[in-house]
Amino acid sequence: MDRRLRETTYEVLSRHGVDRRRFLRYCTMITAAMGLPSSMVSQVVQAMESKPRIPVIWLHGLECTCCSESFIRSSHPLAQDIILNMISLDYDDTLQAAAGHQVEEIRRRLIEEHPGEYLLAVEGNAPTKDGGVYCTVGGQTFLDVLLETAEHAKAIVAWGSCASNGCVQAARPNPTGARPVHELVHGKPVINVPGCPPIAEVMTGVLTYVLTFDRLPELDRFGRPKMFYGHRVHDKCQRRAFFDAGQFVEQWDDEGARQGWCLYKMGCRGPMTYNSCSSIKWNNGVSFPIGSGHGCIGCSENDFWDNGPFYQHLAGVPLPGVESTPDTIGKIAAGAAAVGVAAHFGSFVAKRALFGDKESKPADATKDTGDEA
Amino acid sequence: MSTQRVVVDPITRIEGHLRVEAILDDSNRIRDAVSSGTMWRGIELILEGRDPRDAWAFCERICGVCTTVHALASVRAVEDAIGTRVPVNADIIRNIMFLTQYVQDHVIHFYHLHALDWVDIVSALKADPRRTSELAQTVSPHWPKSSPGYFQDLLGTLKTFVESGQLGLFDNAYWGHPAYKLPPEANLMAVAHYLEALKWQKEIIKIHTVFGGKNPHPNYLVGGMASAIALESDHAINIERLNMVRTLITDAIQIVEQLYLPDLLAIASFYPEWTQYGGGLGNYLCYGDLPQAGIDDPSKFLFPRGAILDRNLSEVLEVDPRDPEGIREEVAHSWYEYPEGQEALHPWEGTTKPNYTGPKPPYEQLDEQGAYSWLKSPRWKGHAMEVGPLARMLVGYASGREEFREVVGEALGRLKLPATALFSTLGRTAARGLETRLAVHWLLAEYDRLIANLKAGDTATANTERWEPSTWPAECRGFGFTEAPRGALGHWVTIRDGRIAAYQIVVPSTWNASPRDSRGQHGAYEAALLGTPMARPDQPVEILRTIHSFDPCLACASH
Amino acid sequence: MSSISRPVNSPPPGYFAQKYVWQWPIRVFHWINALAVLVLFSSGLYIWNPILVPAGEPWNRFVMATVRKIHFAFAMIFVVNFVWRIYWFWMGNNYARSGFPFVWRRSWWRDLFRQMVDYLKLERGHRHLGHNALGGLAYTVFVIGLGWLQILTGLALYSESNPDGFWGTLVGWVIPLAGSSMAVRVWHHLFAWGFIVFSILHVYIVFYDGQQYRNGLISSMISGYKFYEADDIDHDTWIS
Ligand code: HEM
Ligand code: HEM
Ligand code: NFV
Ligand code: SF4
Ligand code: SF4
Ligand code: F3S
Ligand SMILES: [Mg+2]
Repeated sequence: MDRRLRETTYEVLSRHGVDRRRFLRYCTMITAAMGLPSSMVSQVVQAMESKPRIPVIWLHGLECTCCSESFIRSSHPLAQDIILNMISLDYDDTLQAAAGHQVEEIRRRLIEEHPGEYLLAVEGNAPTKDGGVYCTVGGQTFLDVLLETAEHAKAIVAWGSCASNGCVQAARPNPTGARPVHELVHGKPVINVPGCPPIAEVMTGVLTYVLTFDRLPELDRFGRPKMFYGHRVHDKCQRRAFFDAGQFVEQWDDEGARQGWCLYKMGCRGPMTYNSCSSIKWNNGVSFPIGSGHGCIGCSENDFWDNGPFYQHLAGVPLPGVESTPDTIGKIAAGAAAVGVAAHFGSFVAKRALFGDKESKPADATKDTGDEA
Repeated sequence: MSTQRVVVDPITRIEGHLRVEAILDDSNRIRDAVSSGTMWRGIELILEGRDPRDAWAFCERICGVCTTVHALASVRAVEDAIGTRVPVNADIIRNIMFLTQYVQDHVIHFYHLHALDWVDIVSALKADPRRTSELAQTVSPHWPKSSPGYFQDLLGTLKTFVESGQLGLFDNAYWGHPAYKLPPEANLMAVAHYLEALKWQKEIIKIHTVFGGKNPHPNYLVGGMASAIALESDHAINIERLNMVRTLITDAIQIVEQLYLPDLLAIASFYPEWTQYGGGLGNYLCYGDLPQAGIDDPSKFLFPRGAILDRNLSEVLEVDPRDPEGIREEVAHSWYEYPEGQEALHPWEGTTKPNYTGPKPPYEQLDEQGAYSWLKSPRWKGHAMEVGPLARMLVGYASGREEFREVVGEALGRLKLPATALFSTLGRTAARGLETRLAVHWLLAEYDRLIANLKAGDTATANTERWEPSTWPAECRGFGFTEAPRGALGHWVTIRDGRIAAYQIVVPSTWNASPRDSRGQHGAYEAALLGTPMARPDQPVEILRTIHSFDPCLACASH
Repeated sequence: MSSISRPVNSPPPGYFAQKYVWQWPIRVFHWINALAVLVLFSSGLYIWNPILVPAGEPWNRFVMATVRKIHFAFAMIFVVNFVWRIYWFWMGNNYARSGFPFVWRRSWWRDLFRQMVDYLKLERGHRHLGHNALGGLAYTVFVIGLGWLQILTGLALYSESNPDGFWGTLVGWVIPLAGSSMAVRVWHHLFAWGFIVFSILHVYIVFYDGQQYRNGLISSMISGYKFYEADDIDHDTWIS
């Protein structure tokens, strides 16, 4: 175990008879797989030569495991290439061969023997209500497991919307008090990789970027890597021409839908969602939600579950007892103002009619042109 | 009597958080077992007050492993409630997506979640690549990747991996445990196919991407599907998209027939003793699925509906999920409370109110006398039932459906086993493979049905008559279901004034992993563990085998 | 600040005098602002619910794009005009400052309540040459306060197509502050209605006030002159 933490990818490979030529070919492949220009090959080579393979602990909290599922859908690089060649995935309850105390032992050992050297990947999030009893692993609360593992991590990757912004279990009324990683762990770099789930190649891209360049990617205001969350779905959408033209799907399966018109009026969240769906697309470029006729539901954005209903353009505003759109609230307020005005005017007219205008009528006006101020 | 208690928590290679405690007798046989779901998110409560047309998206996030199925059950429940029916194409596309899910989920389960219970990868290092190649060509003559060179390369990679001391996912496991029976060559072949299957599974799900825009978590729609079909358009489902789907289906048939089934039968032949253990309840339940003439006609479903009690294959009992006396959930051993005086509730009357009474974490042991799980205990007419591939194959078989008899008969013949061998851990694992074989061919048949319908001029994919909530009754309730990969899944919804008033979900893994009920009847996992001998109680391979044969999903089960 | 509340030369009883109150920058601001708000509101609502669905090839139809362009153009006009008015708060005459809510002065509160009572009792009551405390408060809350919020949310939305650009750097912080991009939109939309609520009340009160006090109020926003009578000398005391 000790030896491997000091060993670089190149050392491991050459110890096993991979010659320099094959190693360089491998680096070229990895570079292409990460979507980097070929001018970057030398940097990748350098990284592979100088850096040890990093151990990764992948924790699962309250979640649906679709982030893991997405991860294994990655086409470039393949998930298995990452797991076998780039990282050492030492703990991951979803794929791990060992179980029970044998697997918990692996985690404890890493924390004790290699503090500050492992990467922590978190899928799902931690319930904080009632002492965290809504998610336990090995009899320990997940909240505990998370904090204890995070304390000695080198950096944290928060997979998916669960780990980065709370996702479905944190939607109103958040029965378990689920909270995303960055709200619970302090003093550690956290990379948020939201999406429900995130795109496979975005997940593997973030990992390979960190490993290759030995630095954290530049993050946006929500802690998301700009390289994948820098622009809105809307800004790269294939239906954008129809948006600008004003050609909208009005009803499911109408003529507009068949012609690929814009889904704005069906509630598309593309204009408020930062993600790579319309550029990288899903499942090796086959399509993405809007490409297949359904609006974006904003799955990489904070609070997207509570920003519904999904099939209307604006979120409902929850007021005690009712849920209405900002537009109905506005209409009601404007209506109330109009009623108030009408009532006042009515009383004014009535008063004039009853009592007349008692004020005297002045005869003439003098002009003061002086502007004293 | 000994009371050695083996605790396995976390159970790995499953979805979600499951804890099993097994109590052994003096000869290390499992005398009693406790299955506990240790996570809960409260999705049923989160759904309350929301727009029913959004519910599918919330429900789908119950699980990303069986993605799709909760969305499907949800749109069906809402459509049932508001009284709308979907166009034929939508039914077919849903069937196609559903079957795609089966094939991907079952293959993943076999290779990536279950195989390591039977395959010792460290032993694979001792394999002779040439003999492995011979074995592979005998087992699966038509699978192209079986040359000695291929296995030589793989062996090299595997050696690099193991010798580096970085076992990663394979660290600290039970390699060399006496329960592993495969020869090194079979182990090496299985490792090869572990990697092949991992590479392939990301292809088949592109069918979801075509119709639903992404996977995991493709999009659904109340009233149909959002992916419009327009054969003359370059911006909708057209011939290029359809061709992609067809190609993916034919590739999937290859994988299932050339890889999955041969490997399954090969591995099974080394473990005949596992037809003795793990049978469990002997009661089986299916809602049925794959409508051929609309959702209202279960007699035309490809998966029939029905129940079997006490392993009695001569009678298939009728199941009515709307019957208030049929399906009911109990919370006697669950961390929930029911309204005063209520013991069992039909899901339309059901409530979800958490009430944790377990030990304060960190804890060593649960108390099966009290509440010990975040799962409720669903029961059918008071019986604990097993759901899933085995239930479906048995109900299909017992209903006299020809295609079921054929695949089951053929497999039993090849393994030279009687039909009773199905009531076991291995039977359950085999049933999953057999239904995958049915599923992958049905997939092609459904594709052909879609083409035929399009040819006949029907391209409709959505029915929007009842899209607006103003067209709905002020109060209504619906039932939606599907035969999810892990078994019978039901959603029961009540809608009031256009909003969800109540939503109850009873999931396949809730049936199977449920705790005891008020009468002390075990759930399916617990029952299946009873009587199993453990070679090394500290290395719970046997527990993992039986539990994994159910393909647990705990995020589903507790939701 | 000299006393502005007392016109220099009171007209004799029964006669009107005229006073130059609203300097041209105020008047220009006012009408540009009124126009911008109306255009922004209607184009904004259209963006929310684009009802026209033009047929034909999308490449030569720009209905939505045009409406958005109009919205953005008037948004910029609105912003510049707004900043201009704030500048004139210091540069203008005392009447340019008369809308300021002097909450720390008792006289301002007294005027506020007196004005409300006068309006409600439909009585002529006391008179001002500048803004009365109630009007001033309304302009501050509904136009200046809301204006800031609308500008910040609007610019934040505007910055979204280029988060690292000028506007994004300037006001991008609004998005995490509101919680999400959707939240910014919802607020922007709610605030838009605030302008309409204000406009309804404002236009009515202006007409009512002009009629009740015979101060030539409406035309004053065009000419700059307000009328006053012999007794209209003791007000706006809270300004000086
Ligand atoms: C027919 C339409 C309108 C008329 C006749 C009108 C007239 C007036 C008058 C007479 C005043 C001075 C009132 C006073 O002494 O307090 C005034 C002030 C003001 N009005 Fe209007 N108005 C109209 C529409 C609007 C609209 C649509 C808005 C904006 C939403 C607006 C915003 C303002 C503001 C901000 C002031 C304060 C001016 C300052 O101190 O700079 N007005 N308006
Ligand atoms: C009185 C002033 C304003 C009013 C009444 C107003 C009103 C509106 C309304 C009703 C919407 C539609 C929101 C929705 O439903 O999505 C909107 C959108 C928008 N407004 Fe304004 N707005 C005002 C000022 C501004 C300003 C100062 C800006 C700054 C640039 C701005 C930028 C935008 C943007 C970027 C959008 C979104 C357009 C889109 O999504 O395509 N607005 N506005
Ligand atoms: N149990 C379960 Fe599922 C399935 N199959 C759902 O209905 O896995 Ni997540
Ligand atoms: S982010 Fe979404 S997809 Fe990922 S685990 Fe959470 S619910 Fe599932
Ligand atoms: S479909 Fe959605 S993302 Fe695409 S242009 Fe229309 S509104 Fe924007
Ligand atoms: S719903 Fe999610 S997958 Fe992309 S298009 Fe929208 S961010
Ligand atoms: Mg339930």
